[in-house]
Amino acid sequence: MATIDHTSSFGRIFWPVLAWTIALIFFFPIFWMVFTSFKTDADAVKPEFLFSFTPTLENYLNMTENYDYWRFATNSVITSVFATALALIVGVPAAYAMAFNPSRHTKDILVWMLSTKMLPAAAVLYPMTYLTKNFLGVFDTHFLVIIVLCLINLPIVIWMLFTYFKEIPKEIIEAGKMDGVSTWGEIKDILIPLAWGGVASTALLCFIFCWNEAYWTVRLTTTEAATLSKLIEGNRAPEGLFFGRLSAVSTAAVGPIVVLGWFCQKQLVRGLTFGAVK
Amino acid sequence: MSDRRLPRLLQTPAVILLLLWMLVPLSMTLYFSFIRYVLNSLRRPEWTQPSLSNWRGFGNYEYVLFKAKDFWLAVENSLFIVSSILVATVVLGLALAMLVNRTFPGRGIVRVLLISPFFVMPAVNAVLWINMILDPVLGLNGIAVGAINETVAGLRDFPVLGAFFSLWPVLEPISFRGTDTSAYAVIIMVTWQWTPFAVLIFMTSLQSEDEQQKEAAILDGANAWSRFRNLTLPHLARPIAIVVMIQSIFHLSLYAEIEIVSRGNGNKNLPYLIGEFTSNNIGAASATGIFAVILANIVAIFLLRMVGKNLMD
Repeated sequence: MATIDHTSSFGRIFWPVLAWTIALIFFFPIFWMVFTSFKTDADAVKPEFLFSFTPTLENYLNMTENYDYWRFATNSVITSVFATALALIVGVPAAYAMAFNPSRHTKDILVWMLSTKMLPAAAVLYPMTYLTKNFLGVFDTHFLVIIVLCLINLPIVIWMLFTYFKEIPKEIIEAGKMDGVSTWGEIKDILIPLAWGGVASTALLCFIFCWNEAYWTVRLTTTEAATLSKLIEGNRAPEGLFFGRLSAVSTAAVGPIVVLGWFCQKQLVRGLTFGAVK
Repeated sequence: MSDRRLPRLLQTPAVILLLLWMLVPLSMTLYFSFIRYVLNSLRRPEWTQPSLSNWRGFGNYEYVLFKAKDFWLAVENSLFIVSSILVATVVLGLALAMLVNRTFPGRGIVRVLLISPFFVMPAVNAVLWINMILDPVLGLNGIAVGAINETVAGLRDFPVLGAFFSLWPVLEPISFRGTDTSAYAVIIMVTWQWTPFAVLIFMTSLQSEDEQQKEAAILDGANAWSRFRNLTLPHLARPIAIVVMIQSIFHLSLYAEIEIVSRGNGNKNLPYLIGEFTSNNIGAASATGIFAVILANIVAIFLLRMVGKNLMD
């Protein structure tokens, strides 16, 4: 449908310029962090060197020495990848069942699952620490971080997958049933190929949330399984001495995720709103 | 026929896992909240282990409510921070979504720039804002205020206008680590991070708005404001409810931001208070935790009512 343009010529200039200005202001802190990461620590705190300085890669090269960056990064990758995989392994069958064989309680179960997300982490942190330290002996292990990351994201994963699966016509699955395909076959050969985009963006979003999670990962780890969130928190009070280095580490920690986020921004909306916003 | 049993079986692992995740630590918290349990006590070493013989009844709850400081400060602050962020992100998000809803050159890039803060790690967000942007000496806050002061000082030497500018005060950059300002620092940084989320949701919703209806309203002579009030706002009611719900879930448990900005100096919320108690008094921490659960449930019931109805269609 062709819409008539009612905008005055003033508006045609003014609104885009305003939009650009605000977008640049919003992006500025990120730009500033990346920008500072190319300054030496000494330059980073000098107001007179705001924009004129000699760029250096030193901060990135020194990251390993000063911050043991790679250990934390490896832990972040391992725990996020496995937690995402586990969440999908548990979440896909559950969402499949709820989308194609709903019972009277399916809606209640979904709402209840969402409500587990509302349980304040602080309220149950100490028991979790106590259990994992004193009884299970899994404190500060990859295993624990993976399980916890999987569980805190599971409601959103199921929620998202459910939304995507619901859009697949029931008849396609039923036709498969007629042909005698097993349930596992239905999921693997019909459902996942059809909802591939949805499954992929769910995985991506779950990965982003795992990567950015701070509360649990910081408090359930000390050294062995500590992730990038812990590295950043540990360096939170640099008193201006290490702005350059800190910016480099921060950039390296959030860079990949921000770029991933750009790619899945569209799918994100559908999943996060239960498909209620189209 | 396993027609009905198998689907149920498929959702069992998820249900059991989440049930355990909820019930096990929660019942332990409940138990700890009724006993005397401290991590360090030379005088009463028997209190350092959780045991039924240290039963205290509602003593921990009484202590938290009436004797310990900061409980009410934390509750008020929790609500103040959450509601400020909600109002700011929804209003800003609406305005920005309307702004980028029209077509203009570079709209795709504008959108990407605008949405980026949402993907930044909360820990990085807090460290970046408090040290490099809001810091009165080393951050851009101090540099910007310094630049304004210098400009004003320069203008004072001007022949006629100088008299006017000499009336201007010399500005002092605000320190955002102070007792009365640190809550604002948290609100600013979280608003920065979550406005993109609101923009993203509202933008998507605006695209499905009925254009013909709008055209008709324009032909009927409705001005932009009444079109917004009577057409766009009702259309956005559900997305607004969803944004409010999801953000409440996340912001009631803010922690990293508060710790990094001020270490709770004058700016505690319930999770932070629990964290403080956890350094020694587990009984009090658990009782506070139960209060936090109750608060979250009140908010949750309210919110699920608001959006729950049309969640499934």
